[in-house]
Amino acid sequence: MSFEAEVVAWLPQLRRYARALTGDRAWADDLVQDTAERALARWSAFRPDSNLRAWLLTILRHLYIDQLRGRREIAVDDESAPWRNLEAPHGEVDGLVLRDLQRALYCLPVEQREVLLLVCVEELSYDEASKALGVPIGTVMSRLSRAREHMRVLLTVGPADGAAAGTARKSAPLKVVRNP
Amino acid sequence: MNNDDHDSSLPGGLDLRALSAFIDGELPDAERAAVEAQLREHPQAAARVAAWRAQKAALRALCGAPRHSEADARQERNEADEPAFIVVRRPAPWWQRAGIAACWLVAGAGLALALGPLAPRLTGGAWSGLGGQPPSFAERADIAYAVYTPERRHPVEVAASEEEHLISWLSKRLNRPLSVPSLQEYGYSLVGGRLLPGEAGPAAQFMYENQSGARLTLYVTGSARDETAFRLLRDGNRRTFYWVSDGMGYALSGPIAEGKLRSIAVEVCSALGGKPEAWQ
Repeated sequence: MSFEAEVVAWLPQLRRYARALTGDRAWADDLVQDTAERALARWSAFRPDSNLRAWLLTILRHLYIDQLRGRREIAVDDESAPWRNLEAPHGEVDGLVLRDLQRALYCLPVEQREVLLLVCVEELSYDEASKALGVPIGTVMSRLSRAREHMRVLLTVGPADGAAAGTARKSAPLKVVRNP
Repeated sequence: MNNDDHDSSLPGGLDLRALSAFIDGELPDAERAAVEAQLREHPQAAARVAAWRAQKAALRALCGAPRHSEADARQERNEADEPAFIVVRRPAPWWQRAGIAACWLVAGAGLALALGPLAPRLTGGAWSGLGGQPPSFAERADIAYAVYTPERRHPVEVAASEEEHLISWLSKRLNRPLSVPSLQEYGYSLVGGRLLPGEAGPAAQFMYENQSGARLTLYVTGSARDETAFRLLRDGNRRTFYWVSDGMGYALSGPIAEGKLRSIAVEVCSALGGKPEAWQ
């Protein structure tokens, strides 16, 4: 399979990940578009024996973090926050539970959200996640367990407690922390 | 580790990282068995694992990840409302590049017509051009190929992992900015390069290798000769395509079919700023 065909084959998955990460369909589609363009323009930088999916996810992540800086004004509890406009989740799990889950997901700092999505939804191995995120496996493990625990606490505290806790966390979710 | 990774409500010795890795199937067998044993003993830890498992399943449902059992059906449904293609804006389409090349070709032809009669005087008639002996840089390139490509342990002085250093070093020694064209499209990736003594100064050899271990070399050195079109030098099963462009002699050597090597040479030539269109 040609390099381009391989990139194209990963696009549906990149799109799903971008949507979950950003909570915004239009933004996600732009991110995937930019990622594909950059990947095809820089194909010579890709080593054939390395992991294409991790490479694409790394590109997407860099683009997302760059773009996030320009959009920092969006507060998580804002009624107009992009993820509020996502279509109501459907499926075998109760819709209201998924609403809460969705809310909790976008309360997580980006670093926790991305590792949670990469491992739980995209089913990356820890090794692949470490490549995609550019951090050691140990960091993947601790970030992931913190993300899970953070989510669990957000989901188990009642809405009232959540609101109280929310004020303290309000600025955290969109804070960009660069990895050294 | 810091306090975040442990939890006072969990028994000692169980850290959250291990429970988390247990859920993802990332623990080695021995550790997995240990965690399983602890889960049987400590209901709190088991509850934590159950909560995280539920969280994982819910996240997959939220994000539209296909459930394994109905993956195919779900996939089809999802793809129906996906954009079927992605628009990729390429920086310069091929026809635009070809157009620019054609302009250069016309300009070059005009210049050649205008200056052609002067050429023998300028070069002193020293080189007859067509049918002449191959310049010694092509022979040197061919020999360098034969000497260095069989090397398994030290094929190059500076490896491709230090590509920036390699290029800046050789550019400095050859006293002009070099660039290394990518041959990934043909399945050859850069191994690295070395500095060699050339005909009248230093020369650079870049080595490429494909997955089956076949190697190509690109030899670059200064040359006082006029521009040449592609020429071919045959030596045993080795083939060397060489050309001179803008004061530099280039030679691409390898034991592969002439047609294939020629098309790679065309690619390399244009990547290095030459104008192979003029020679086709």
